[in-house]
Amino acid sequence: MIRLVSRALVVLLAAVVGCSGARRVDGLDPSSLPPDLRADYEVFAHRCSKCHTLARPLDSGITNDQFWRIYVTRMQRMPGSGISDSDVARILRFLRHYSAEQRAKKAAS
Amino acid sequence: MRALVVLAIVLAMAFATVLALIARPAAAVERNFAGSAMADYHLAPANHSSRSTAFDGFTTELALKAAIDVSDRFSASVKVCYGCHGFELPMAHLDYRFGTAVSLRVGRFSPSLGAFNLRHDPANHRLSSKPLIYDMGRMLRMREWNLGVLPSPFPDNGAELSGTHWIGETVQVDWAAYAVSGFKSDAQGIDLDWQRSRTPDAYYVDNNHRPAVGARVVVTTKLGETSDLTFGVSAQHGSPDAASKLRYTFFGGDLTLRIRRTNVRVEYLGRRQTFETSDPTQLAYRVAGARGDFFVKQGLYAEIEQPLSGAVDLVLRYDFLSRNGNVQAGSPLSHRSAIHRGTVGFTYAIERGLRLKASTETWHFTDEDHRGRQQAVGFHLGLVGTF
Ligand code: HEC
Repeated sequence: MIRLVSRALVVLLAAVVGCSGARRVDGLDPSSLPPDLRADYEVFAHRCSKCHTLARPLDSGITNDQFWRIYVTRMQRMPGSGISDSDVARILRFLRHYSAEQRAKKAAS
Repeated sequence: MRALVVLAIVLAMAFATVLALIARPAAAVERNFAGSAMADYHLAPANHSSRSTAFDGFTTELALKAAIDVSDRFSASVKVCYGCHGFELPMAHLDYRFGTAVSLRVGRFSPSLGAFNLRHDPANHRLSSKPLIYDMGRMLRMREWNLGVLPSPFPDNGAELSGTHWIGETVQVDWAAYAVSGFKSDAQGIDLDWQRSRTPDAYYVDNNHRPAVGARVVVTTKLGETSDLTFGVSAQHGSPDAASKLRYTFFGGDLTLRIRRTNVRVEYLGRRQTFETSDPTQLAYRVAGARGDFFVKQGLYAEIEQPLSGAVDLVLRYDFLSRNGNVQAGSPLSHRSAIHRGTVGFTYAIERGLRLKASTETWHFTDEDHRGRQQAVGFHLGLVGTF
């Protein structure tokens, strides 16, 4: 029984890694972003994934720039965040772009 | 004294509310709702005695949170959870920020203790089970062990002052100091009673007049654009019984290294706890000398989290938990008991906010169960969603 479950898990893992390939599910595909925002996105992706997945900010539904400013400074003050003031500026630059895209998507639908 | 503490908390909350309302008109209020849900199936196939003292089968955890920013300085958060022990209120607090660096938090929250608690939400940590030192019901033999050193989360009522300071652009220093109600002991005064400590049945009111106090200091160094090293120490000291005769002290240290998308974490947590000795028949061993009235429960975990592809993360974890000292009469534990656990797990992101978690755990107990077994194995398969 134990051996069976262990084997099933290994096979499942191999299948899942194999099938998922280069699909970037957790964050965004940087090549889909304007070139001048890619480096800012990388700062966001690194700093905002330390304590939770990127789904937290990307699927939060927040599209208001002022709210993002408050939110990012709140996360900056989490112990061990490693988010410096210059990171905040870069993260907000990416989030402004992302929010504008989300707002446009909402308006279109 | 208890009335004074309650009054101080109420006054602090009222003060923060007034300050915030003066600081900004109500039109500036922003609200955000967030949540997570996890259903996990735990299979402990071979060890029937462990199964009788573990939640094997399905468990579900649900968390809903509202964060309200009244102004730049003032915010409120409320979180409701549904888990193995029904609905609970792990978060209902106000935060007020003085200047850029110092914040006051009052209400109900988990005080700053250890590193893991920030990631305790099942949507935040990658395995189905928490590290053994923080276990809240997914360990085998959980009743004998009375769970981990400190089941996470550990919401409590009180006030916390905290600060974040940067030295240049590379070193971040965080500190926190707090006073909260503290944990409650069981009826015999032998160990902490986790359910009594957080049940709403007692209206979240303290059982003694003495608040528990604690502090945490964390230093983070940026090693590069995409790597950093975090080191933290924390402690909490309190009195768990109504007469404030007994004492507990938590102490811990933690280290997190991030290199690109790889996370390496090592965390130690210990608890020294004095217990009631007036009735020796309650205890398994004779209490001898000054060393007889306390036990030490401690442990550590070391884990590595490694993305294998855009959708799959691999997690390897080693856990150790030990308990040294007298035990309650009739307990299957000895005066020196330990557990070693190895975990291999992975998560698969079906889509960004939805993950499959699978893991295998191998257990080694230094104590034999009634069938003479010391080994066990467990499997978890869970689905977790963030929204
Ligand atoms: C040091 C840890 C840490 C870092 C780094 C961090 N967060 Fe968080 N984040 C948290 C915690 C803790 C929660 C609350 C989860 C819970 O309620 O259990 C959270 C929750 C959130 C939420 C959900 C709403 C809420 O308030 O619960 C959003 C959105 C979010 N974070 C955005 C971000 C962004 C954007 C960044 C990067 C700028 C970031 N986080 C970096 C710890 C962190």
